[in-house]
Amino acid sequence: MTRPIITLRDVQKYYGDYHALRGITAEIGEGEFFSLLGPSGCGKTTLLRTIAGFEDITSGAVLLDGQPMEGVPANRRPTNMVFQSYAIFPHLSVAENVGFGLRRRTDLDRRAKQTLVEEALTMVGLGGYGARAAHALSGGQRQRVALARALILKPKVLLLDEPLSALDKKLREQMQFELRRLQRQVGITFVLVTHDQEEALIMSDRVAVMFEGQIAQLDSPQNLYRRPLNRQVADFIGVMNFLPATVSVEDGQGINADVAGLGRAVIDPEQAPGGATSGAACVGIRPEMMSILYENEQTDRRIAEGVVEERAYYGDMTYYDVRLDGIEKPVTISMKNIVGRPVLDRGTATRVSWDARSLVLFNAA
Amino acid sequence: MRGGWLRIYALSYLVFLYAPIALLPIFAFNDGTVIAFPLRGFTLQWFSELTQIPALHTAVANSLMIAVITALVSTLLGICAARAAARYDFPGKRGIMGFIMLPLVLPEIIVAVSLLVVLLQIGIRLSAVTVILGHVLICTPFCIAILNSSFQNLDKSLEEAAFDLGETRLSTFRLITLPLVMPGIISSLLIAFTISLDEFIIAFFLTGNEPTLPVYLWGQLRFPQKIPVVMALGTLLVALSVLLLTLAEYFRRRGIARTGGKDTGGFL
Amino acid sequence: MTLKERLGRLGRTEAANGYLLVSPTALYALLLLAVPLATILAFSFWTQNYLDIDTTLTLKNYQEAFGEPLYRQLMLRSLMISGAVTLATVLTAFPIAYFVSFHVPQSRKSLWIFLITIPFWTSYLIRVFLWKVILGYNGVLNATLQGAGLIDEPLTFILYNANAVVITLAHAFAPFAILPIFVALEKIDRSLLEASQDLGENRLTTFLRVTLPLAMPGVVAAVLIVFIPTIGDYVTPRLVGGPNGLMIANMIQTQFLKLNNAPLGAALAVIAMLLVGAISLIFVGLNRRFLRGPK
Repeated sequence: MTRPIITLRDVQKYYGDYHALRGITAEIGEGEFFSLLGPSGCGKTTLLRTIAGFEDITSGAVLLDGQPMEGVPANRRPTNMVFQSYAIFPHLSVAENVGFGLRRRTDLDRRAKQTLVEEALTMVGLGGYGARAAHALSGGQRQRVALARALILKPKVLLLDEPLSALDKKLREQMQFELRRLQRQVGITFVLVTHDQEEALIMSDRVAVMFEGQIAQLDSPQNLYRRPLNRQVADFIGVMNFLPATVSVEDGQGINADVAGLGRAVIDPEQAPGGATSGAACVGIRPEMMSILYENEQTDRRIAEGVVEERAYYGDMTYYDVRLDGIEKPVTISMKNIVGRPVLDRGTATRVSWDARSLVLFNAA
Repeated sequence: MRGGWLRIYALSYLVFLYAPIALLPIFAFNDGTVIAFPLRGFTLQWFSELTQIPALHTAVANSLMIAVITALVSTLLGICAARAAARYDFPGKRGIMGFIMLPLVLPEIIVAVSLLVVLLQIGIRLSAVTVILGHVLICTPFCIAILNSSFQNLDKSLEEAAFDLGETRLSTFRLITLPLVMPGIISSLLIAFTISLDEFIIAFFLTGNEPTLPVYLWGQLRFPQKIPVVMALGTLLVALSVLLLTLAEYFRRRGIARTGGKDTGGFL
Repeated sequence: MTLKERLGRLGRTEAANGYLLVSPTALYALLLLAVPLATILAFSFWTQNYLDIDTTLTLKNYQEAFGEPLYRQLMLRSLMISGAVTLATVLTAFPIAYFVSFHVPQSRKSLWIFLITIPFWTSYLIRVFLWKVILGYNGVLNATLQGAGLIDEPLTFILYNANAVVITLAHAFAPFAILPIFVALEKIDRSLLEASQDLGENRLTTFLRVTLPLAMPGVVAAVLIVFIPTIGDYVTPRLVGGPNGLMIANMIQTQFLKLNNAPLGAALAVIAMLLVGAISLIFVGLNRRFLRGPK
């Protein structure tokens, strides 16, 4: 990580009796694209608003660029925010919206301000839109105006509160790409709040997954997906099958696990990010880490036997629920639909291949 | 055709609503002292008589003064209460707001006599001021009702955005809040003005030697020979009310269009 | 500073801001509404001898208010007239609200509501007076009917009695009844009506089993909004009521301004408030039970 631009030290926040933030400690680096990911009510927006200065914290500390922020209101913090509703001032023009924060800049004359506004609008792809009325803009355009308005002040940190949630799917995917491009271009730290795990994985350098006012895991997208710390994180990010297992930990030999439906396996300690102890445990495996073997297909991977219980055809993929011998609950397996792979009917007996390296071990069931 | 019958009913209901008011201009321009059909002929006599009654002019001036001050004060009080209700949570909020809104459901005669008793007890002389005190009391709930929707419709993140972009709380209020709720404020002023101008009971009880227009009018209603003049006066009053209401409605709609909200109905 | 103290401090600032902002208005209402109402209550237990107030607590005023047949009759009549006005207004208003909500295109609803509210905002005094002009012995109605040769003698049963009061008040309070019912009808999800018809009900039974129950809160609001002010109305009974159409408000005024018996007037006012309050509570209660009932 680069030099920290945001430092959070044991941040606690109460609303009356409700404990909204339960000790958040984290550092966010300069120029990083950082996401706060979690279900609604997990405290991610509250955390963003404490960084912005809209919410007081009950205890702990928020530092921006090394400066403690206690008692510093939002208008004097080096952060700017893109609101979920975009908060475009409806009574002002696009240019007046974008130039809003420049009003107090006495070092700039009118000309210089106009130039800055036009530059900012061009940067977000709205060059020439300055004279339009704000309330006549489309959703995507509002979002761009909100971005230009915040970035024009060259903040140290740009805070984005679910900025894409109001857009339709196509536009959202386009804006994800553009936001990433814009962030690289300006080099400003972006902190994004989202409940969409895919969005967080696609856009971020690092992601903090939050549940119930705490950070459950703070990691790169790849690590979050491959080595989730616990079942809650694993379940929230993507799909994972959980199989009961019995574990014995032996020094120097890795972890021996007896996994229901799959059989015995040796698990690398790296694949037990939450640590491992002997006894009852749980093993996770992603749907794409297993494959169904067709006809006489050969493999040097491990094989389990099962029956197709249900299937869902997605066009590019087919998801199968396969009941493996020895366990009640079927596992989900995803298969790419390529030439020569027919979609299997329910009731087909199949062989499933898997690899011990793709198993993740979680403590307890 | 169900809708058809309902439509006929609705239209005749509108006729019932408007029939009495429609009589005003008809008899205001009628050349005859008896208010009955058939009409006699066209005259402007009753209107020109209006210009020659000094007592009426004093009453009008008095009423206008009272209505303007009432509109300003009750809108100001309404802004405070509506803003507090929309932005802050505090213990007893419902109770306090409910109490402030109480005059809406209290028979006016009770407001009038209770104010009268207290004012007489503490020895305050009845005058235009006492009428204003009473009018502000009953107008404020209407102002709050109108302003509430303005303040509630205002997206809180607009103010936060301005604050985030470096403005102070005060300049945020001036640059963002005030322009956006201004249409609500204008219709609040107009409604309070209209109510005060028209209010009779409280003015009747609390006015001193300077009657308001409705109180003056009340005195005139007893004399049959004055009826055509009253009709002329009524015509002017109704025209003024309709004008003010149309303005109020115009500003209300403009406010809704501005903040991008949805039209949810009339003033009440 | 401990956590708890900090919490308390934060809690106070949010609440303190609210209190600070609401205080001018609340204080105004306290001084000019709560204090006067309390004074009226106190007065109702006092007595007055010409201009001197005797502050010995007594129930004499209430005994007189309930004992004297004149006052009893006035209260009863006020209730009857108010009840009749409410019934007439709400019954005639419902179809209008229904028509505007269900049969007027969305874009023209505002216009209809605007048209319905305009008469309400025009001078109340003049509207009431106009009914006197219409219904009077030499009024528009009689003069016109006579002129047309339809009647020989002017009709007398329409002015200076309770009927005239009911007609005038029903006219004056029409928008008050239409608006809440309209709002309630607007809130009804139209797919509920389709669901009901899909489940085999016809238009009439759908109206009775779905629309009407869902519109009930609006109807109750309309009842209260018409009933409460009419029971204390002063102008209408004075102008068109005649001696047999006078109501409690007229007596309160007489006691205060003419007979110099403020305590008795206060007692009558308190009783009127209690009556209004009690009947309102009954309606609100009925509404609550009604809303909870079907669940």
